[in-house]
Amino acid sequence: MSERRPARLAALVLGVLAASGCGVKTAGLDVRYPEVGVNRALLAAAPPRRVEMLPVVDRRADTRRIGTREGGDIVTSRPVTDIVGEALLLELKKNGQIGTADRKDVVLAAAVEEFRLDVVGAYSSTQYVGRVVLAVTLADPRSGETLLIRRYVGISRRVVDKDSDNGWRDVMDVALARTMHDFATDPELASVMTRRLTAFNP
Amino acid sequence: MVRTIPAVLAFAALSLVGCASSSPPSRPTARPFDDVRRVIVVPSGGESAFAVVEYSPEPGRTFDEILKWISWSPYQAVLRPAAQLVHRGINWALEADRAATATSRLQGLSPRSVVAESVARTLEATGWFDEIRFVEREPSVEERRRADAIVRVAVPTWGLVRVRDVEAGLLSGFADVRGQMAMPRTGVVLWEESQDVTSPEQIPVETFLHDRDFARQEMIVVLERAGQRLANELLYSRSAGR
Repeated sequence: MSERRPARLAALVLGVLAASGCGVKTAGLDVRYPEVGVNRALLAAAPPRRVEMLPVVDRRADTRRIGTREGGDIVTSRPVTDIVGEALLLELKKNGQIGTADRKDVVLAAAVEEFRLDVVGAYSSTQYVGRVVLAVTLADPRSGETLLIRRYVGISRRVVDKDSDNGWRDVMDVALARTMHDFATDPELASVMTRRLTAFNP
Repeated sequence: MVRTIPAVLAFAALSLVGCASSSPPSRPTARPFDDVRRVIVVPSGGESAFAVVEYSPEPGRTFDEILKWISWSPYQAVLRPAAQLVHRGINWALEADRAATATSRLQGLSPRSVVAESVARTLEATGWFDEIRFVEREPSVEERRRADAIVRVAVPTWGLVRVRDVEAGLLSGFADVRGQMAMPRTGVVLWEESQDVTSPEQIPVETFLHDRDFARQEMIVVLERAGQRLANELLYSRSAGR
């Protein structure tokens, strides 16, 4: 009887792993913003500035999940604020802006207002709508004066066959990428950055 | 037990691999075009189809329930596809009726022109180009000779779509748009992109169908947003790979 216990234990572990992995299809969605896809854009037209990026704030109404699917919560594998913060840093660096905490020219504060995946079930297909709303504020580090407030909204919509289990997984990646591209190509943002005097060259 | 550990680890690894998003978003088709200074933006493509897409699960769901009651029937194999066809037919007719009403409210509004104008305005606002011109018709030989690139903008589909499961009667405007930038003399395509653009707002479909001014304003906002989105992707691709 005792020889059977290891086999039962292994079966139990397998069962738990299956449930915590993809058995529950909504667990730990890995939303990504790959560095290889990041380009120099309009933001690179502004001279390099020393930017202090404050930790990204989560201002979503529901911070426990990004959506629900088949009765289960859809959650991200990493905190939403980390995902967005890393994407912003990648854009700033690729566009020649310097992330720093000292002798800064400008302070960038970002807040995630929405990061959600809506699922609309039809008869034989399902529509997924990913939405990222990011509020960005630029402020003067010395006076604290607000220089610019912008909201970037990235939405991605996709219809997948009911039988497909993977066609929806990168909808949030696309929504995030669109938000970041709008950020990097915003002429007002580039203009404010251009007007900032550098700490080195006042 | 020791022998089972590798199997457990392999299973765990495989189950986690499946949880990553399937692939990163595809990169737009583009090559660097930093030297493009004079651009003509022109509406292109055929007619734009207006659609009202509600993704209603009914009456198909009800048909499925009925089929479950008569699961003993030898005709199940035939009835199920027939039920799917009837479901599609009924919804197509309902949505086509609403689309026809909406189209009558939006007469005179050219989605391609609104999107193309918005693309031109967005590109111009960057100050990156010496000249951005929007023209309604195909550019003349002389205009082509002067331009470094021609951006063609098409809107195959636009309309209203349901974006949330719980809110019946509330839809969002959408426009599926395509853009292509090519060099006039060689025809070399410098950039190509498709975008599904959805309004962040939801609006009551009944108001949309009955209030002409409201409908037009809503769709103009969506189309202008589509133009900005397309232009932003073009700008983002300008130095691709550099």
